Amino acid sequence: MSKLVADDGRTHIQSQLMRESLVDRKVIARTDSEGEFEIMPNVVLIGIGGQSIFDRGKGALLPLVAEISALKGKHKMMIGVGGGTRVRHTVSIALDLGVPTGGVAQLVGAMEEANAVFLNALLAKHRSIVMQREHFWELPLYIENGMLPIVISIPPYHFWEPPPEDGPLPAHGSDFGLFILAEVLGMSRVVFVKDEDGLYDKDPKKHADAKLIKRTTLDALLADMPEELILDRQLFKTWKVARHVKRVQIVNGLVRGELTRALAGEDAGTVIDRDGGT
Amino acid sequence: MSERRVIDNALGESALTSTGWKGFDYDPVAMMPDTRVIKVGGQSVMDRGRAALFPILDELVAVKDKYKLLLCCGGGTRARHIYAMASDLELPTGVLAALGGYVPRQNARMLQMLLAKHGGLFIMHDDFEKLPLYFRLGCIPIMTGMPPFGYWEKPTAGGRIPAHRTDAGVFLTAEVLGVKRALFIKDEDGLFTDDPKKNPSAQHIPRISAKELIARNLDDMVLERVVIEYLGRARFCHELQIVNGLKRGMVTRALEGEDVGTIIYKD
Repeated sequence: MSKLVADDGRTHIQSQLMRESLVDRKVIARTDSEGEFEIMPNVVLIGIGGQSIFDRGKGALLPLVAEISALKGKHKMMIGVGGGTRVRHTVSIALDLGVPTGGVAQLVGAMEEANAVFLNALLAKHRSIVMQREHFWELPLYIENGMLPIVISIPPYHFWEPPPEDGPLPAHGSDFGLFILAEVLGMSRVVFVKDEDGLYDKDPKKHADAKLIKRTTLDALLADMPEELILDRQLFKTWKVARHVKRVQIVNGLVRGELTRALAGEDAGTVIDRDGGT
Repeated sequence: MSERRVIDNALGESALTSTGWKGFDYDPVAMMPDTRVIKVGGQSVMDRGRAALFPILDELVAVKDKYKLLLCCGGGTRARHIYAMASDLELPTGVLAALGGYVPRQNARMLQMLLAKHGGLFIMHDDFEKLPLYFRLGCIPIMTGMPPFGYWEKPTAGGRIPAHRTDAGVFLTAEVLGVKRALFIKDEDGLFTDDPKKNPSAQHIPRISAKELIARNLDDMVLERVVIEYLGRARFCHELQIVNGLKRGMVTRALEGEDVGTIIYKD
């Protein structure tokens, strides 16, 4: 039975953190421990690129949809999509208008949600469903009943997007949003489906001599981060303090079978591991 | 293979992770710079009950037609109980953030009930764009101080308590509205050289820069750490004022622009 304590003008509930400053490092350290509960560990999160896959339309999307529907039943999956070119257009107009960073963050999610609805129309007969944020705890219901949840990838930071370290663009984009969702649910793997064979040392669309990095570790990547990056920087920074996600993989969604190989645990595309190396 | 069908725009070819924004002459608009964004502390004010809260509300009601007041609530001891329980169960930080969000919402609802007859309105994050309407009607919008990150909150290094709590939410609210100074009502005169509740000889610090505060590397601080970090790169919210709500008149003087309490400023 919890006790109420009211000896200093405030009424406290007795707990390990009673009366404490939650800013105090020693107090925060008391809430730490080695392990962490895994909420939905056996699910893989798949992020589908907006500009890289969606904006190519039917030719790129329908074969990928067929591959995903064939994978259903073999793997527990959750899918997220990016917003693509319309996000870039939104941001370029908004920056010109002087919309504050938090306002930009509030706007961009609409384009990703539109792509989620597109994808849902294509996968509906395979039991897909767009997860609304307020239905967060229906995720296990969907997964355990053989459904295919499509999640909104942009995190709900909205107007409250923190001031970026550099420039006016919101730092918490859709790659970060999917990563953090996988992390809080205790998943160990995230696979991003893009239109390149993986992560390169520079943008392969602009540089013919760009080199594919087939295998690397988080530490190696953080030590030597490519200037032009295929995923949000914030994803890698956050991964450093994350507990569950062990592998992030980037595969080419224009090449059939790459996603299937990645889900089977093969080294398709670029494999980035949290542990080992360096 | 099918081509990308892109809309021609200044960021069209750039990954949003890169520096494509550098071509922009970015001049952000202050949305509602004359709003007063005010945090009512959880443990420091709400958990003290009527004796502490009613005089503060009297002061706020007295100036409600003079200023646009946006009240944001802290959590307090029930949030601490939630964080302690959830840490014991080894739940992830995102779950703590989502659960911790319930308490400041309760506090905001309590404030709404107390201020209803003066136009107190409980609002959710989704109502944020209706603020101009609420102010036009002479209302006092009241919301949680917690930002809406919830399950999407980042893991905390060396612990489980979410880094973005109600101080962060209040600062970020002021920042996006283009408000220069955010006001935090607590139960101390502001920042001290040590915890004044434990060390009576601690010295009061009336003014300090974010840089200096970070350089002092204090084990404990008067506001959440991320707020001080963000202050250094904020575009609009350049001052945080902390006042003692238990001393009559301090809230009013702060709202009138007086530098009472402690001011933490961007360098």
